[in-house]
Amino acid sequence: MKETPPLPDIPLFERLNDDEREELGGLLETTGFGPGESLIEEGEQEEKLYILTSGTVEVYKQVLPRHRQLLATIKAPSVVGEMGLLTKPCAAATVVAKTAVEAHGIQRDRFLSMLDAESPAAYKVVHELGRTLAGRMAKTDDSIAEVIVQLERANRRESRDLNTFQDKLIREWSF
Amino acid sequence: MTGNNLGQVRFFEFLTDEERREFADGSELVVFEPGETFIEEGSRPSSLYVLTSGQVEVRKSVPGNGDQLLATIDAGEERTVVGERGLLGESGASATVRAKGEVEAIKIPRATFRRMISEGRPAAFKLSYRIARTLARRLARLDEEVVETIRELERHGETDLDAFRDKLMTDWTV
Repeated sequence: MKETPPLPDIPLFERLNDDEREELGGLLETTGFGPGESLIEEGEQEEKLYILTSGTVEVYKQVLPRHRQLLATIKAPSVVGEMGLLTKPCAAATVVAKTAVEAHGIQRDRFLSMLDAESPAAYKVVHELGRTLAGRMAKTDDSIAEVIVQLERANRRESRDLNTFQDKLIREWSF
Repeated sequence: MTGNNLGQVRFFEFLTDEERREFADGSELVVFEPGETFIEEGSRPSSLYVLTSGQVEVRKSVPGNGDQLLATIDAGEERTVVGERGLLGESGASATVRAKGEVEAIKIPRATFRRMISEGRPAAFKLSYRIARTLARRLARLDEEVVETIRELERHGETDLDAFRDKLMTDWTV
């Protein structure tokens, strides 16, 4: 009898029926990461999309030579590497485990092939990822609007302090 | 919408003839008069509009600064779709889109799209995938520009606020 690894019970897979769960479950590779270990390295090839089922990760970017900026802290259940899946596979930020993390990786190439073949399972997952991106874009728009207001005010005061603006801008980073 | 007119609209080229027919059945051809608003900032998530002729203005209210023009979109140019974020997501519009002159567009109502998704129709998922890639690309470009701007400001040790602001505006998604 064939053993099917259980698909993590997270919102991303909510719409999938049993067959689709089985199809996708067969592609997942479960990996554990210890605190301090990197799931994704900035500037390197992003070969996998990771579904996080337990633990917390931190996202960093080398914004300035001496300044590694913390962009986000993400708690499971969540997904990282979706930007690499949907754009170019070059990581824009580093993702590091903050606690012990359980992750389920899917090879980017495999997943893209499923999309090319119009796999309903892959389509449903991408639809949920797209909805997440839409939410993130809405927040980014709001942050930018805030920044613009502050820039206008700073402009009037001729202030040179942009730190607050920088922090706000990068709070809703996506990767 | 009567007939299968989507074949002449470049945006729908990624769909097969059959899928285009599915969307043609669920979409509406709409005409806006000059000054008419079809996506209102702060209102419910929008439908998707593919502009086929005319120009639209994208505006956002900025507290203390009134109405700010973010972009003018020409149906004849590359970007002819507005409202894709509203179609996919749950949050309201972040800007107002208004017809500058007379505007013709194909509207894919949000309710139609959501029904097609819940029915598992591949055409709808194909559109969803396409929108997801567009949003991802815009977010990535926005991120790159912000980083580049921060680095530039640091290099010059001064703040060119107008340039900074202009860069932030480029990839706004409505």
